[in-house]
Amino acid sequence: MSESDEKLLGRMLEGDEEAFTTLYRRRQGPVYRFALHMSGSAAIAEDVTQEVFLALIENGRRFDGSRGPLLSFLYGIARNRVLRRIGKERAGEPVSEEYAGGENLLDDLTRRETVEQVRRAVLSLPEAYREAVVLCDLQNASYEDVAAALECPVGTVRSRLSRGRAMLAQKLAAHVMRSVS
Amino acid sequence: MSEERVIEALQALSEQDASREASPDVETRLRVQFQSRRRRRAWRRGTVWGVAAAAMIVFLVVANRKPPAPTLVHEVATQAIAVQPEAVPAVAVKTTKRVRKPVMHPQEVVTDFFPLMDPAPPFERGQLLRVELPASAMQMVGLPVREDRLADTVQADVLVGEEGLPRAIRFVSFELK
Repeated sequence: MSESDEKLLGRMLEGDEEAFTTLYRRRQGPVYRFALHMSGSAAIAEDVTQEVFLALIENGRRFDGSRGPLLSFLYGIARNRVLRRIGKERAGEPVSEEYAGGENLLDDLTRRETVEQVRRAVLSLPEAYREAVVLCDLQNASYEDVAAALECPVGTVRSRLSRGRAMLAQKLAAHVMRSVS
Repeated sequence: MSEERVIEALQALSEQDASREASPDVETRLRVQFQSRRRRRAWRRGTVWGVAAAAMIVFLVVANRKPPAPTLVHEVATQAIAVQPEAVPAVAVKTTKRVRKPVMHPQEVVTDFFPLMDPAPPFERGQLLRVELPASAMQMVGLPVREDRLADTVQADVLVGEEGLPRAIRFVSFELK
């Protein structure tokens, strides 16, 4: 059975480089993808991933296991870094579109086109809804873990996710309508 | 569009990006940072043990030293001859009058305590030891020291816990008041 994140962190803080490497390799992917889906930029995602683990090296003792798992702690750091970066660079400007209905999105578009359209639609969401959608639906994190990462109640996560999905539905449907016309 | 369709589309995006991750360069840079920090910590620990050893030596020297003889700041001897009443035989009285001149007393000025252990175990009681250290020790806690003064000595108070480990340090200077 593999060692828990928390145990690896403990060993890492004692100076064990192997523990750090194991922890990094286990968790860099989710952190990178979270930053990528939030920013739409591979360069920002890479910078943020580095900053998150650098923060863990420097301030890992601030992690409090009673407030959530280590991955939520990492998402929390990544979130702050990403918001700071996209606040400066405004990588994904919101797309304003008219809303329309449509039930056959996956049938109408090729999978690849769909995926890229979904990516753009996610990037166009307001940050509060985007982070809920990215963490819950793209990173498959539990509501509790997302609440720990975003430092808000579980109910807030649920409502933001619901609202975010509704906004995505409207944006994607509008795209289908444009494609058809 | 239904919520199920949206979730389905999001899953497609998640699956497509599932293998995306940071480049190996990031890991390399982070490992260099990790090693650098580990070296800094080791150096700091070494310095802490050095301070502790110095503190213990000073403590042992002070504990075994005889108390110094009291010294007077200034002493003036005067002689006085008592008035001789007729019925009483004349007696010469020799007195010594000690007069202290006003002096400037050096006043201690101390810095805040800087922790030497990170994280520090619970502290219940300990002992404060006055030690003399090279000024370069001030750099250890981030205090600025001029390059040409690094070899000078400074006084410091080391707070040593019950278990004998140095917990914190503060530096002392003196001002005349």
